[in-house]
Amino acid sequence: MGQNQSGQGGPPGGPGGEKKDQEKKKKYEPPAPPPRVGKKQKKRDTAASLGAKLPTVYPTAKCKLRLLKLERVKDYLLMEEEFVQNQEQLKPQEERNEEDRSKVDDIRGTPLSVGSLEEIIDENHAIVSSSVGPEYYVCILSFVDKTQLEPGCSVLLHYKSMSVVGILSDETDPMVSVMKVEKAPLESYADVGGLEPQIQEIKEAVELPLTHPELYEDIGIKPPKGVILYGEPGTGKTLLAKAVANSTSATFLRVVGSELIQKYLGDGPKLVRELFRVADELAPSIVFIDEIDAIGTKRYDAHSGGEREIQRTMLELLNQLDGFDSMSDVKVIMATNRIESLDPALIRPGRIDRKIEFPLPDAKTKRRIFGIHTGRMTLAEDVNLEEFVMAKDELSGADIKAVCTEAGLLALRERRMRVTQVDFRKAKEKVLYKKKEGVPEGLYM
Amino acid sequence: MVAPSDKKPEEVKEAKKDAKDAKGKKDEPKEPELSEEELALKTNLELMVERLSEPDAGVVKLALTSMISEIRSATASMTSVPKPLKFLRPHFDALKARHETMSASQAENRALLADVISILATTKELSREVLKYRLVGSTTELGIWGHEYIRHLSGEIAEEFRVRRDADPAANVDDLMALVRQIVPYHMTHNAEPEAVDLLLEVESLDLLEAHVDDKNYGRTCLYLTSCCAYLPEPDDAAVLRLSYRIYTAQHKWHDALRVALRLNSREDVEATFAACAEPLQKKQLGYLLARHGFAINLEEGPAAVEDDTLRESLREIISNSKLSEHFLALARDLDVVEAKTPEDVYKTHLTEGRAPAGAAAVDSARANLAATFVNAFVNAGFGQDKLVTVGTAEAGASAESVHWIFKNKDHGKISATASLGLVTLWDVEGGLPQIDKYLYSTDPYVVAGALLAIGVVNSCVQNENDPAFALISDYVSNSDLNIRTGAILGLGLAYAGTGREEVCELLTPLVVDSEAPVEVSAFAALSLGLVFNSTGREDVVMSILQALMTRSDVELSTPYAKLLSLALGLLFLGRQELAEATVEVARTLSDRISAFAVATLDSCAYAGTGNVLKVQGLLAQCGEHITADEASAHKNAHQGAAVLGIALIAMAEPLGAQMAGRGLEHLLQYGDANVRRAVPLALALLHCSNPDMLVMDTLSRLSHDGDSEVANNAILGLGLLGAGTNNARLAGLLRGLASYYYKEPTALFLVRISQGLVHMGKGLMTLNPYHTDRQLCSGVALAGVLSVLVPCLDLKATIGGKHHYLLYALAAAMKPRMLLTLDAEGQPLPVPCRVGTAVDTVAQAGRPKTITGFQTHTTPVLLGVGERAELATEEWLPLSPILEGQVILTKNPDYVAMDEGK
Repeated sequence: MGQNQSGQGGPPGGPGGEKKDQEKKKKYEPPAPPPRVGKKQKKRDTAASLGAKLPTVYPTAKCKLRLLKLERVKDYLLMEEEFVQNQEQLKPQEERNEEDRSKVDDIRGTPLSVGSLEEIIDENHAIVSSSVGPEYYVCILSFVDKTQLEPGCSVLLHYKSMSVVGILSDETDPMVSVMKVEKAPLESYADVGGLEPQIQEIKEAVELPLTHPELYEDIGIKPPKGVILYGEPGTGKTLLAKAVANSTSATFLRVVGSELIQKYLGDGPKLVRELFRVADELAPSIVFIDEIDAIGTKRYDAHSGGEREIQRTMLELLNQLDGFDSMSDVKVIMATNRIESLDPALIRPGRIDRKIEFPLPDAKTKRRIFGIHTGRMTLAEDVNLEEFVMAKDELSGADIKAVCTEAGLLALRERRMRVTQVDFRKAKEKVLYKKKEGVPEGLYM
Repeated sequence: MVAPSDKKPEEVKEAKKDAKDAKGKKDEPKEPELSEEELALKTNLELMVERLSEPDAGVVKLALTSMISEIRSATASMTSVPKPLKFLRPHFDALKARHETMSASQAENRALLADVISILATTKELSREVLKYRLVGSTTELGIWGHEYIRHLSGEIAEEFRVRRDADPAANVDDLMALVRQIVPYHMTHNAEPEAVDLLLEVESLDLLEAHVDDKNYGRTCLYLTSCCAYLPEPDDAAVLRLSYRIYTAQHKWHDALRVALRLNSREDVEATFAACAEPLQKKQLGYLLARHGFAINLEEGPAAVEDDTLRESLREIISNSKLSEHFLALARDLDVVEAKTPEDVYKTHLTEGRAPAGAAAVDSARANLAATFVNAFVNAGFGQDKLVTVGTAEAGASAESVHWIFKNKDHGKISATASLGLVTLWDVEGGLPQIDKYLYSTDPYVVAGALLAIGVVNSCVQNENDPAFALISDYVSNSDLNIRTGAILGLGLAYAGTGREEVCELLTPLVVDSEAPVEVSAFAALSLGLVFNSTGREDVVMSILQALMTRSDVELSTPYAKLLSLALGLLFLGRQELAEATVEVARTLSDRISAFAVATLDSCAYAGTGNVLKVQGLLAQCGEHITADEASAHKNAHQGAAVLGIALIAMAEPLGAQMAGRGLEHLLQYGDANVRRAVPLALALLHCSNPDMLVMDTLSRLSHDGDSEVANNAILGLGLLGAGTNNARLAGLLRGLASYYYKEPTALFLVRISQGLVHMGKGLMTLNPYHTDRQLCSGVALAGVLSVLVPCLDLKATIGGKHHYLLYALAAAMKPRMLLTLDAEGQPLPVPCRVGTAVDTVAQAGRPKTITGFQTHTTPVLLGVGERAELATEEWLPLSPILEGQVILTKNPDYVAMDEGK
């Protein structure tokens, strides 16, 4: 589950301090360099390798200067590639690593046991607790990358001496990695009936800032951070989000509001933080939070701990959306049925800049939606969809889909290969009846 | 007449029918989604297309004009194609066919139709159709079609231009140029200067730009031009600079023009600009710029001569930096740091944990004293007072047993101790010389040598009118004592760095070629000449150094001194690019002991600060070689060190290249041999001189614990250069840690001390960075000073760590206060409020973006860190220089209305 075994301490020639020249015949040898333990140091060390990130190129507008600068960067990268390739040919890195690795494996021995690091005493010693219970004071072998050690992390222990021989690192909360959409959904923009202004708005707010940031720069504005999609149930909010996921090459993280409610105190906010951290790491990315009303309702004096926890989760979300840390290439899409019950702070401009309403489809859109859903069905000659399109019933996109499916099922029940007008009529009645279930008919008429 | 026109419409109709049929099938299902007005628009447009085929010219014209007005009035979101174009797209081929067949008599209509086709083509992925139909289209104003269209057209013009020129270098491009002439003014008047420049660069006729630059857009245009310069291939880069020079000159922006001229390194332009600026105050401001750059100019005669005696006198005073000491002390007084600091104030041993380096007990005290000498010199540099070398004189007379600090040093240590007097009284010729003078009469040759060097250091970057340095030093150059000779030679070099003085040449050239003299003397003479004539490429000097390199024996050429000779050669060609080619060829023929090193040094110096990628590639390849060399053949891989430094030297021009070169250096650390790795810390230090970047600091701090002691030593010194004159607390902490870590290793500890001294150099008021004036200009003298320390560091044990530690005083050539001092018309400091903040890259940005961010408001004089910029926070005064750095003269703003304080 996202855990991998750490290699030996850093790349060759990396933290050079650990290397000692064995042949040095000297009376005095300087002591080992100061320890570099802990996550903070690790962060700094990874950043310290000068080549971690490519420089950002200004100006962002499309112009020759930018082209020239990018070409310059490319030239340098090509030179690096050439250099590294030549060096690898002379002395393949793989081989060198392989050699070292096999040596390290010998020292590690098998089998290994897993323990957790309780405390680091000095550079070479630590207290570990093994899974069975007792705690030990043990050595840390020299090849263990000390920058990755921190209290609480899982370590590999030698089976006999219990000395620390490796680190098990888990990078992200597995909960978050599940949220990542690995397989793009099949729904594309073509499957959305109508909703053209909505598609345009979401494109401008979410996709364009990721693909063409210079357009915004040109005109001198900051692109919107996120959008909220709201409207009646079944009007295509989730569908549109799926279409966005389908068309974008950015990382798409999706989460349902209720997922953010956790059993233990503090877990919910932590998950939100983790979510945005992962989004930032994998940037450019789009975070889609469905059914945001699960956590985003208006704040009030809550009496139960659970409610307060939910509110805290929302506060964390508020902070992530427009807090101290700027999220650069992370765009947020939210969806809800009940925008009026959301906390005003959540949807203020600056957090969520655009509110996109999804109305019930009008006749034209309905026709389009019918067209999409019946496109792959075999229809009888007598089918006239205009009848349903023009009817005054309040049909949402989802209802139309239900009608089509229901009609298909009816036809199937009678072992017919074609769907007739009668089927549609029946199906519609059924769907509408189900929709109005519970409401005494004719009460307000 | 009738027959053909009868026939044509039929054809057209048919073609259209085909197109329509094809389209009709495809679009059938989409048909119903069009709204009423869309449908109306569509039918309307179709009708117009239909009408085009009518024979009556009037009808056609009407159709065309209404079509054009539809297109022009359409607006759309940036994601989609405008509606009229969308509906016209299916008729594209039909329109084209119609255009073919339209008779010549309807020339006007034909042109209009071409317009429509041209704009329609922007929506298609076709090869230069936009341009093709634009060329046959009407000659109306292009602007009416909108910005997007012009942008599209510009792209196609550039493409077409390249295609035509590739096919035939002399191809006729007049039709394209006519369009360009239309487009450029449009861009220039619509706030799109970068696009105009781009287009002209593509069609290789930048000269057209000049006519359209006015006082509103010259700033943005020139900013764009000058920032392009670093990335353009060789002939173009000078061309853009020349153009911006002409624009600035035409706009009478002398300061900007002078900066560009200095960047071009062209003496005529500098002198012409200086002469053209008539206003005395502005001229003084230019003087300050020349002084900062270390550019000597003749005021007595020649093109830059000044008639007015008083003005000439004051200009001379400014350009010779005579007031520098006074201004620097004013800054120090304002910041309240005049009080002299002792080395202990810098070491702060009470803060180090654990093993303190136990003072003199642990290390041999001579080394400790020497280190203290340097620390004292660097920390109190320019302040004219300290607690070791200057105060001691009075006490020494009073009590017999207290020995003066200078005499607490041993042998060659005394050279540096005496010379430190020069650094303490830096720039203050009148105050410093009397203090140094008495040591000239000492019986101890080391002290005399030190005193001579001190004279040179005091005079570095400052030319006193009485010219005392030459008078005092010249006699000692041929002294019998070796130390006195080297001291005198180096002193001369520092005193006249960058001035190109003939007398120095006459005096030192014989020493370079004198094969009787020790190679040491020859090398130092060459280095001094390199400093004095830096980046002039003077032939007689070059020839003499080459001769020295040819005549010396292999044993002598294996010493570090030979490397100094090569460096001197490089300094002469600093930044001169292909001018050095011939000398490089000669250098190749030298003895194999030195030739590779000389070639690498010369090549990298010649292209210093150009960002030439090809050169970097060559040097990188050299670094990647794995040469097995033992003690005897150590010279075989000596050039690799120079190559590593060369990468940094070439890439330091712009931040982007510097950052990418940093990545390359990281690879060198990983794959390189020992020799390469040793030079990497030095290269990093060169890239980030006086710029304590966190990442670089971390890398160097990691390397300072390296297993290879030479890598570690270089990294320690690198840390010092990295933070030189910044008082960076983190760096100081790191160095304190290193001091206790290396408490038993004398060389490392010595270097840690020196680095500590460098970090607190001038009590944090100075910089070593050769790039100044908003990082636009590279001062050759400063760069030469830094290089004269870095190259000897390649053999650190034999030079800086050995007995040539006084080479560190070469840094005096690079030391400059990092201040903003505002002066009034009389040259007196004038405190005004100003904002200091991080500089923002505003090239080609929309609107009027802020140039600084995260600023704080101070009152001048203020310190400016690396990457910081200042702007005045008051409307009351106007600066005479657009870049607020160094000394800036202010004039009263005539439009200023004081705010009513009473309300």
